[in-house]
Amino acid sequence: MAEQKLVTITIDGKAYQVPAGENLVDAARNHADNQIPVFCYHPKMAPVGMCRMCLVEMGTPERDPNTREIVHDEDGNVKVRWMPKLQTACTQTVSDGMYIRTTTDQVADARNNVLEFLLTSHPLDCPVCDKGGECALQDLTMAHGPGKTRMVFSEKMHLDKIVPLGDLIVLDEERCIQCARCIRFQDEIVGDDVLAFHERGRTLRIITKSDPGFDTYFSGNTTDICPVGALTTVDFRFGARPWEMTSVPSIDPWDAAGSNISLDMRLDRDFGGRAMIKRVMPRQNEWVNEIWISDKVRFGHHFTRAEERICAPLLRNNGNLNEVSWTEALDTVAGVLKAANGDIGLIVGSGASNEDLWALRQVVNGLGSERLGAWPVTHTGGELIAQVGVGKGTNLGKLGKGDVVLIVASDIEEEVPIWRLRIKQAHDRGAAVIVANARKTRMDDFASHTFRYEAGKAAHWLADLKKSAPEAAEAVKSAANLIILTGAEGLTLEGHAALMQAAANLLIETGHVGKPNNGLLSTFPGANGVGQYYLGYTPEQSVAMAAKPPKVLLVAQADMLADDPSVAAWLDKVETIISFSMLPDGITAKFAKVVLPIQSFAERDGTFTNGERRVQRFYTAQGPMGWSLPLWQIANRLGEKLGQGKAKLSAAAVMKEIAASVPAFEGMDYRALSKVEKQYPDVGGASDSYYYSGTACKNTGGLGVVIPTAADKGETVKAGEVKLPAVPKAGKGEFVIIPSTRLYNREAQFKLSTVVHPRVMVPFAEINSADAAKLGITSGDVVQISANGGSVRVRANVNGGAPEGSVVLPRHLTDEPVPMAITVGQVSKV
Amino acid sequence: MSLNIIFREKDIPNIREFDVYSKNGGYEALKKALSQTRKQVIDEVKASNLRGRGGAGFPTGVKWSFIPQDNPINYVVVNADESETGTFKDRQIMENNPHQMIEGALICAYAIKAAAVYIYLRGEFWDVAHALDAEIARARKAGLFGPNGKLKDADGNPFKVDIFTHLGAGAYICGEETALLNSIEGKLGQPRVRPPFPANKGGGLYNEPTVVNNVETLANVPWIINNGAEEYKKIGVGSSSGTKIFCLSGHVKNPGNYELPFGVTFRQLLYDYGGGPLNGGEFKAILPSGGSGPILRVTDEVLDTPLTYDDLRKFNSILGSASVIVMDDTVDIVWVASKVTKFFKHESCGKCTPCREGTYWLDKVLDRILAGGGKESDVDLIMSVAKNMQPTTLCAFGEFAANPTIWTINVFPEEFKAWVDGSKKPAEEKAVARPARERVAAAAAPAGD
Repeated sequence: MAEQKLVTITIDGKAYQVPAGENLVDAARNHADNQIPVFCYHPKMAPVGMCRMCLVEMGTPERDPNTREIVHDEDGNVKVRWMPKLQTACTQTVSDGMYIRTTTDQVADARNNVLEFLLTSHPLDCPVCDKGGECALQDLTMAHGPGKTRMVFSEKMHLDKIVPLGDLIVLDEERCIQCARCIRFQDEIVGDDVLAFHERGRTLRIITKSDPGFDTYFSGNTTDICPVGALTTVDFRFGARPWEMTSVPSIDPWDAAGSNISLDMRLDRDFGGRAMIKRVMPRQNEWVNEIWISDKVRFGHHFTRAEERICAPLLRNNGNLNEVSWTEALDTVAGVLKAANGDIGLIVGSGASNEDLWALRQVVNGLGSERLGAWPVTHTGGELIAQVGVGKGTNLGKLGKGDVVLIVASDIEEEVPIWRLRIKQAHDRGAAVIVANARKTRMDDFASHTFRYEAGKAAHWLADLKKSAPEAAEAVKSAANLIILTGAEGLTLEGHAALMQAAANLLIETGHVGKPNNGLLSTFPGANGVGQYYLGYTPEQSVAMAAKPPKVLLVAQADMLADDPSVAAWLDKVETIISFSMLPDGITAKFAKVVLPIQSFAERDGTFTNGERRVQRFYTAQGPMGWSLPLWQIANRLGEKLGQGKAKLSAAAVMKEIAASVPAFEGMDYRALSKVEKQYPDVGGASDSYYYSGTACKNTGGLGVVIPTAADKGETVKAGEVKLPAVPKAGKGEFVIIPSTRLYNREAQFKLSTVVHPRVMVPFAEINSADAAKLGITSGDVVQISANGGSVRVRANVNGGAPEGSVVLPRHLTDEPVPMAITVGQVSKV
Repeated sequence: MSLNIIFREKDIPNIREFDVYSKNGGYEALKKALSQTRKQVIDEVKASNLRGRGGAGFPTGVKWSFIPQDNPINYVVVNADESETGTFKDRQIMENNPHQMIEGALICAYAIKAAAVYIYLRGEFWDVAHALDAEIARARKAGLFGPNGKLKDADGNPFKVDIFTHLGAGAYICGEETALLNSIEGKLGQPRVRPPFPANKGGGLYNEPTVVNNVETLANVPWIINNGAEEYKKIGVGSSSGTKIFCLSGHVKNPGNYELPFGVTFRQLLYDYGGGPLNGGEFKAILPSGGSGPILRVTDEVLDTPLTYDDLRKFNSILGSASVIVMDDTVDIVWVASKVTKFFKHESCGKCTPCREGTYWLDKVLDRILAGGGKESDVDLIMSVAKNMQPTTLCAFGEFAANPTIWTINVFPEEFKAWVDGSKKPAEEKAVARPARERVAAAAAPAGD
């Protein structure tokens, strides 16, 4: 980064060198250890100067009108011309020669008076308020406010105390201090401007403009930045006091962003007196998720302690699963594996940690098999990520003017919401965002250019960009920094492979590799899709197993039957299936001979490799459910039974072995992954940071370590051949089926969330209006869609969301599986 | 003494119509201005000492000179929100002599190189806006401005500035220039933090440099261009040049708008023009600039004060928009304080803390005093609350909103004393100590008043 220009400002008589252009509140905090109190100001948002809490005295040196020389008094001190009125520090940018006073009576009075005004109608709820203990208004009242009220209690304004803004967030209008942080967060940071002020004066209050209310994937963040207890989540509301909880660092288990989170635990009556997740909070990592998380991770944690969890090993006898001891279960599995003569396959889902992947692989390799399948089989091209993935040091939060983000075949809002939020802000800062897809997606709203291609032809479009989109080709060529982000929507696995190659070629040809903020990204499903590649698992292996099923198949953390109707047919051909699962699913119900209960991310430690190849630690927060064990440990114990060596005692030990064996992980022990450094804005540090940036957690668990790409290491990377795949063509009376992703869905784990379910869509499919007219279908009609040997009934949605001749069918909304990749099928009205 | 620079309809009937206005020298000033350089026009206005008639009295020419001439898009916004209590002059101008304001706005547009003129009218002025639209259309059709404008400026460039009217939705705060700009942009009518000021890039309409002028201010401009700054300065006294429209209301026999040269005294205004006290009472108090300004006790010294920007300073008072509200001795000053505070409570936008909370608090205590439930400490309390508001609010509204309390207590302390020491009681006995439950219910009612 360029050397920052410094300016000199004088705060309370002492001179400080601060970076030019910095906000005065930030500068005073970061460089002068002067905590100017704020309510409405937030370091991530534009200042508005509304709350008046940050008033300071401001002045400039007096200059001789003739000589323009600075005037000094008899003692040689600079004569300062103080402005007659106090100024809001939050709306000032530091400038050379600025003079500030924060400790004068005038300032102290102003702070006291503003607090007195705020408290006139604020309820005395503190003893029952969720925010009590981490409340800006409480803290600042203690520091600067009046000790007594002069307002007659009966003259207080009363407003509604329970106003649900949506299914997830409840507003207490009395507690609200009208700082507009929530409104501004939704407008500026998210781009879903669903909140607004209603009325004026003392009755000014927050309303939602959307239907359903507060319709956004990021609503929970407003409760973190709310400086009082006005906004609460239905999940945590009245659940615990902040000081009762212990924060355990963890990682978002749902998507490739790998958002840093904190699991706030308390010993709880509702969980048998055991440590229970009371709330999920963002943990600051400015490179990954800053201080934001999606509502999916905040509100989707209930599966970790759900009654549905499998709590003991199960063995099938006469068709029925019966609880058995670990010894019996593992002996049985070891016996089955030994008898298989190496005809063993392993398929692992994208939610398994690096340690799990490594330990399971050791077992299978030890038995002479190399069949390591990654699941689901939507995204591929891990080797290209390893070559030209986004450069080390990449930070989406630093993209701006002159930079280009090219998004192809992804509905990124639904796939990786945090990336969508951060790329939206890059767009606001001036980066060109180019979105190409076969259909309209939400990201189009934040795009500089949008392009459409025929369903399935993403790679065709990108490989020939000069012809298919000359403006995009030009923008890409001249980009200061270029990130290409691919999804797999509307593509086959070969289609995604080709798209990844085309993207890699473009990056290499235009020289956008091996540098921070340049390179390839893909919306790999789950938290560890990229980790799968680095530990030797590929989706192509899973496809190969489908073509030639092994005798024994180990399925770990993969709800395969829910992912495609065609899976059941080939699983049927496998002689013995061993399942490693958290929850009952299709495989445990019908196919598995042995079911081994595994622990969720909350019950154990481990690491995930996120989409940007950042290896990040998550820590043990909750006690185990029943007899369940971490996946890596089950594999290790199995190995022990098979004579492959003693089981490791900890995940850390497994990581050590990975670091010693897999070059990408060189040097990555848990200590290295736990390193933290000072981040700006300074959140969650001292207790005073509540008022500064909200209740997001300070990162004490580690910022993670990024695996360098080949290009990062200076190796030559070469463009490869793009093998354009055949695109499914619909015959007469047929439709192209484009599976899509919904963030909120009915996947086994997520559907156990006790709060989000009202927000999960009724199963639907987007049908083109021309097609709908031909079939006599209107929006709301029930249609039957048959493909890949299965069929589902869903509601038709005719609103221009699908290209003609195709149907966009969201995955995981129905109980029965729908296709995982683009295919051809029939549609009929029911 | 009557000189009608603005109210020319008194001399020329139907001058509101485009044809009549044109026949009587209309739009000649625009043509004259266009033949001059922009700097010449601004200098002429500067030299005339014309000051903003909306209340602040800022020198108009100076305001125009702040606009960067090299910026590709600037705007002129005419503030026709006229919402100060007791002000009703802009409406009369727009109803009876609209073209003079339009011409003034166009001259300003030329001088600051504006792309368009927006006339922002308060929502209740929908009928005025309707008539204004029709007259604007006539002038536009005549080729004076707009896309088909035929006039050319000194450099030979066609003059194609266009004019649009925009109706507000009924909020006092939208007379504050930055809230007004927000309202035109379709945003919530709340003031913006300054700097940047409207004249700066980033601070004006759609972030472009903008001049916001009052209707009456702009209506003076054609006269100045036609007759020259020197002639204009001959009217009025000292630094208060020209005429001012005084909106006289309250307990006088002849309320109404009076266009008079600066320098006329309160006595002349109240007795010679206003016809003296209504119903034979005694004048007791004057609000010289509507509800937002000070209150003056009527004395000979006050009555003999010339109405200029400078002379009123000796009472710490301001001329404001010259909405003179007169009260006779039947009026209870504490009631006045409460009434005006209620207005400000109702109109506070709620954006900044001191104003939102302070107006509510003042209103509650004043209500209690008037209900007979006041204590002596309550007077100190509201004085302190009002004084705490003034240095901390975001915009001038909060300062104005505290004025009625501070001024009435300072000027008429005996009236407050009478209420809090029990010597004055509400006319009909109100139950002050109501049951708690009822009090809560009453307080919970929205502040609709």
